[in-house]
Amino acid sequence: MSLSVPVAVVLLFMLGSALAAAVIRDVVGSIVAFAGYSFGVAVLWALLRAPDVALTEAAVGAGITTVLFLLTLARTTVTRSDRFEGISLRSGLAVVAIVVTVGATVPALPAVGDPSAPILAGDVSQYYLTNAYDQTGVTNVVTAVLVGYRGFDTLGEVAVVFAAGIAMLLVLRREAFV
Amino acid sequence: MSDRDSPTDATADSGRPDGADESQPDAVDGEGSVSRPADERPPYVESTIIMTTVRVIAPFVLTLGLFVMFHGASSAGGGFQGGVIAATTVVMLGFAFGIEPIASRLRNEHLALLVLSGVGTFLVVGLGGYLVGDNFLQVSEYETLFHHGSKYSIELVEVGIGVVVSGVITSLFFLLGTGIDAADAADPDTDSEEDR
Repeated sequence: MSLSVPVAVVLLFMLGSALAAAVIRDVVGSIVAFAGYSFGVAVLWALLRAPDVALTEAAVGAGITTVLFLLTLARTTVTRSDRFEGISLRSGLAVVAIVVTVGATVPALPAVGDPSAPILAGDVSQYYLTNAYDQTGVTNVVTAVLVGYRGFDTLGEVAVVFAAGIAMLLVLRREAFV
Repeated sequence: MSDRDSPTDATADSGRPDGADESQPDAVDGEGSVSRPADERPPYVESTIIMTTVRVIAPFVLTLGLFVMFHGASSAGGGFQGGVIAATTVVMLGFAFGIEPIASRLRNEHLALLVLSGVGTFLVVGLGGYLVGDNFLQVSEYETLFHHGSKYSIELVEVGIGVVVSGVITSLFFLLGTGIDAADAADPDTDSEEDR
C-alpha cells in the first residue's frame, strides 16, 4: 500500500490531536484538540476523494459539535490542578489491546484504490454507477443512492434527527437540574 | 433542582463570584460541578472585530449552505451538510451579538414547526410516489409528470432534510446557550410549578 505524503501527514496530525484530546486535563484544550482531530478526518476524506463525507465531517464534527461542547462547558465549573491526565496501567493496557486487535484486521483490507476491491468490483456498486443517472436523473451518485435508491433509510434518519430534536426541546425546556 | 433557590447558595453566589467551587455544596473537592449558576457563566463580550467579521461573512456562509443544500444532486453535498452549514450562520450570529437577543426572535415553537415542515416535505414527496407510481418514495416516477421530475423531487427531499437538520441544530444551540435562564426571565412561575 503506497501511502502518499499528504495522507501520512494528516494521519500523524490526527494521531497527535487524538492523543492530546485524551490526555490534556484542561477541558477546553481537550475540546479544541478533538475539533482538530475531526478536521483531520475531514481532510483525510477529502484526500481519499469522498467529498460528501468530508463536508459532513467538517461541518458536524469539527464545527457544530465543538460549539455544542463549548456551550455545555460554559454551564459547568471545573477546577483543575494537573496539566495532563494521569494514565493508569489498566486503561493503558486496554488501549494497547484494542489497538492491537483492530490493527490486526488492517492487513485484511484491500489497498486504497485497488480496482479489484469488492467495493469497486462488486455488483451493487457497479449497478449504481451504471444506472444512477438514467434512473434518477441525478449526477451525484451519493445523492442518488441516499434519496433515490435508499430513500426509506434516509426517511428513517430524518425521523431520528426530528425525534432527537423534539426530545431535546422537551427535556431542556424543563431542565430543573441547572 | 432546588439548589438555585436555596438561601445559602444565593448568598454564596453574590458574595464570592470567584470561589466557584466553594459556592457549590455538592461539588467534589477540586472537581467542580455540572451546575453553574447563570451569573457565574462567562458573560457575552461585545467585540467590534467579531461583529464586523460576522456581518461580512454570514451572508456568504448562508449562501454556501443553501448552495450545498440545493446543489446536492449535481455536486458534493446534500441536505445534511447544507443544513448544518446554514445553521452555522445562526451560531455565528449568536457568538457575535449574544445568544439571548437572537434566541428571543425565534421561539422554540416556530423552530419545531420548521422542523416539522421539513419532515412533512419528505413525507409528501414519498406519499406522492403512490400517486404517480406504485410505491412509496418512487421518485423516478415523477419523470412522467414533467421533465427532470425525478431530479427535482430528489432536490425537494434534500431541502426538506436541510430544513430539519438546520432547525434541530439551531434549537439545540439556543437551548444550550440560553436554557432555563431565558425561560426564567420570561415567566418564572411556570418553571417553578413544573419543579414540584
